Amino acid sequence: MHTGAKGEILKIEDLHFSYEKGEEVLSGVNLTAHDGESIGIIGANGIGKSTLMKLLVGLKLDYQGVLEVAGHAVNKKNLSHIREHIGYVFQDSDSQLFLSTVEEDVAFGPQNYGLPPEEVERRVEEALLKVHMTDLRTRHNYNLSGGEKKLAAIATILSMEPDIIIMDEPSIALDPRNRRNLIKILNEINALKIVTSHDLDFIMDTCKRVVLLDEGRIIADGNADEILRDKELLEGHGLELPLSFSRR
Amino acid sequence: MKQIEDNIRELNKLQNLQQRSHWMNRLHPLGKLLVCVIYIFVVASFDKYAFDKLLVMAVFPAFCFIVGDLSLKDGLYRMRLILPLVLFVGVFNPFFDRKVLFSVAVAGSQMAVTGGVISMLSLMLKGLFSVLSAYILIATTSIEEICYALRILHVPKIIVIVIMLIYRYFGLMGAEADRITTAYMLRAPKQKGIHYRAWGSLVGQWLLRSMDRASAVYESMTLRGFNGDFRVKRKNVSATDFLYPFIWIVLFILLRHFY
Repeated sequence: MHTGAKGEILKIEDLHFSYEKGEEVLSGVNLTAHDGESIGIIGANGIGKSTLMKLLVGLKLDYQGVLEVAGHAVNKKNLSHIREHIGYVFQDSDSQLFLSTVEEDVAFGPQNYGLPPEEVERRVEEALLKVHMTDLRTRHNYNLSGGEKKLAAIATILSMEPDIIIMDEPSIALDPRNRRNLIKILNEINALKIVTSHDLDFIMDTCKRVVLLDEGRIIADGNADEILRDKELLEGHGLELPLSFSRR
Repeated sequence: MKQIEDNIRELNKLQNLQQRSHWMNRLHPLGKLLVCVIYIFVVASFDKYAFDKLLVMAVFPAFCFIVGDLSLKDGLYRMRLILPLVLFVGVFNPFFDRKVLFSVAVAGSQMAVTGGVISMLSLMLKGLFSVLSAYILIATTSIEEICYALRILHVPKIIVIVIMLIYRYFGLMGAEADRITTAYMLRAPKQKGIHYRAWGSLVGQWLLRSMDRASAVYESMTLRGFNGDFRVKRKNVSATDFLYPFIWIVLFILLRHFY
């Protein structure tokens, strides 16, 4: 795996971004992350969490500042290389699953990178095993439940064996059992995980580090337990204590 | 609305049919595509008066429906939008071609059968057989496999991608239309259908939402290395994959020239 000069896998320095010369959505974001970290990006609606995620995977390229993934600047030239290292799990799993069966969708990424059939097969098998979906391998995507779709969407990313996995609101619309299952699976993944969510309990259960965004800037960056217990900080930026803390 | 919901359900059923583990589904898609295309060409090449000879070509759809465990009733139902077009294509022939070919005895009297009637029946049969063979192909082969076979035949990449994406986005647009109309109907329970005043905004919403969904799907594809070409898992070729098209194509040629 390629890393930056200080061993960081993700490097963001003074990042600015605005949509079509409108108001800045991100104004001076600084963030570095290392292999194996689990980072929760939190913040109220519309403060630029999803925009930041889209910038990381190169879906938006007209930013200003430094943005490096696995030692490569995020630009048009490096896109293919960067996307080999970074996987993005969409909020809406239906957008992620566009082929007929689970196995076809999981094989899509590795096939596009021209891997030999045996390697594609190994990766599909392994990814489905990690999300406990081997028995649903040939199932049609239309026939999956909401929870199964989310796990299948994660498997489509795991099969690419990325160094960084980004998840946009992964716990949305999951019942408690599927949510618990997802937490367990995420905690078993060794790659750098970046999770955006309003579900602060979910962030608490899956991330060791939390980054609080507001008005396009990072307000707090540190230990998840400390930030998520800081009622004043959270309420000052449009959030509330996780339910598991507020009940105590 | 119920009709949209029904159509989406039909599409799902067809996709479930494509995913069966039947041996016909497992055949190499190239063989199935070639058999389908050659069958249509052979059927279309029969003389317009060769109705009796054309009947023998029913052997292919009959075999596939019986051996392939496909329901003829479902097949005809799913093709209901195309069938009227192909069945009525020769409907005016009896008016133009009045040459009497032979007579048949009906209830004690002789009834003249004109060339127009025979050619009309031939055209109907050709249309029916062609539609049924296309149905057999799509009921046993997924769109990805058909596109894979088209790429083997060196059909330009852009055409194959367009076919595949239209198919994908068709389901997606159907699902969006279903959501919008359901939301509308739930808040207009006494209304039959959608009021004409709401059509403009509803269609606008539908297009905008479909475009959003389509761009999300496209983004998801590009993030997983999609660069304009679908790479489908290569199929292993077995003896049956060769025998199936070989036997059918030889049989079609024999039936066409020697029967």
